[in-house]
Amino acid sequence: MNIDALVPSSIDGLMLGFVYGLAAMGLTLIFGVMRVINLAHGPVIALGMFAVYLIGTQFGVNPYLGLIAVLVLGLVLGIVMYFVAVHRVINAPELTTLLATFSVNLMIIGLGTVVFTTTPRAIDMDLGAFRTGAITILGTKVVAVLIAIAVTVGLYLFLYRTRVGKSIRAVANNRAAAELMGINTTGVLALSFGIGIMLAMTSGGLIATLFSFTILAGGVYELKSFVIVVLGGLGNPTGALVGGIVLGLLEGLTTIFMPVGWVPIIEYGVFVLILLIRPTGLFGAR
Amino acid sequence: MIAMDVKEIESGYGEVQILWGVSLQLQEGHLTTLVGSNGSGKTTLLRTVMGLIPAWKGTVNFDGQDVTRLSPHTRAQMGLVMIPEGRQLFTDLTVMENLEMGATPGRARAGFQRNVEWIFDLFPRLEERVRQVAGTLSGGEQQMLAIARGLMSNPQILMLDEPSLGLSPLLVLNLFEVIRRLKEQGHTMLLVEQNVQMALAVSDYAYVLSNGRIEIEGEAKRVREMESVRKAYLGL
Repeated sequence: MNIDALVPSSIDGLMLGFVYGLAAMGLTLIFGVMRVINLAHGPVIALGMFAVYLIGTQFGVNPYLGLIAVLVLGLVLGIVMYFVAVHRVINAPELTTLLATFSVNLMIIGLGTVVFTTTPRAIDMDLGAFRTGAITILGTKVVAVLIAIAVTVGLYLFLYRTRVGKSIRAVANNRAAAELMGINTTGVLALSFGIGIMLAMTSGGLIATLFSFTILAGGVYELKSFVIVVLGGLGNPTGALVGGIVLGLLEGLTTIFMPVGWVPIIEYGVFVLILLIRPTGLFGAR
Repeated sequence: MIAMDVKEIESGYGEVQILWGVSLQLQEGHLTTLVGSNGSGKTTLLRTVMGLIPAWKGTVNFDGQDVTRLSPHTRAQMGLVMIPEGRQLFTDLTVMENLEMGATPGRARAGFQRNVEWIFDLFPRLEERVRQVAGTLSGGEQQMLAIARGLMSNPQILMLDEPSLGLSPLLVLNLFEVIRRLKEQGHTMLLVEQNVQMALAVSDYAYVLSNGRIEIEGEAKRVREMESVRKAYLGL
């Protein structure tokens, strides 16, 4: 046990939590709008990592500028994925949509392993660090937090202040009624899936500026996303950010008191506990 | 002028045929009512006309066009609007957001502000609750909002499916007063009601549906006098 590490480790965990929250937001948005659990979430996060990496290495673009391209790429990829894998089974039982997105997962992992191998990659990024006493905060983490906040605020404003955003909420709430009101529900579902994938890829891009990664690296964050989504309440994007911060903090604190190997055990312990005590999430879904 | 022409519609669910060649016409500016006992196919007919379930045979003509194969949202965009049974509000959205969603069709956007004022004139209660989440409204207020949301689209034809269901007798009276006012303002409406007596009293024309076929049709006044209708639906 190292009590001196309490503050720095908490700050570190807290900052990572924002990025986790962003990833989870993508998962929970898709679930909230169309009741589909996207099992390709992890590989899509990994694709975000590789997209930023490749844009950087191939075209010499700064990773943060590369993220803008990833936003667009994610949206397009998500819409294509919706029509290829999800649309035809959208009204089928949940197991069918699980299998459909899981097959996308396998395809991305398979192709990705062939193309990129599983050699770890890293983005060479150094924005310096702020130091006071025992606390060291990396510049890349600060930027990642700021971008995560900006994307979250952007998503919130989009969902609550624009007509298209409100129609996404209307479709999530009552798809049949939305169709009756003249809302093109298929278009809205495809767009929502696109935004969900966009959020996942963006978080992947941010994670790539912090840690090394392989095409398999998304799996860890997919699992974290599930824990966060349960913490924040299924289908609740703002809850996801809070859930992410809680999980990040928990991770930071865990590593002070026990070996890193215990982190998943603590995380899933919390996961099971919440499912038992408050299955609607700490902040309640709606 | 004929606002909507439904010809020889056959449809149903899965293998079960419910409608057996139903034809019906809506005159522009008229209030037409469709009555019939439970299970006679009224809701199935509305759902087929709206495109929520496919027509096996027959056509729906509206706005000078055969819309039989168009999606429900396309029909709604064209001005064929249905207020479904059981309100089907966006319960997580505010009253105002529900109204905005009602005004989704491009043709309804320009007159949005004017329509909102008109709606608040028609339903003053909604103005008091404009920022409230729709799911927290009382049953009567929810029904008002369901109608208001439908009206926000500037419908050319408004189809109401059992609007009085679950309302207290006083609220039913209010509802029919609103329907009467809409009729005076020249709206073309198709009303499906289990409250046959009141529906026939406010309507211009009536169809009686029985076992998926139109059994009787005629001016609402006449239909109301018919011995068979009085016995079967009015309990007289």
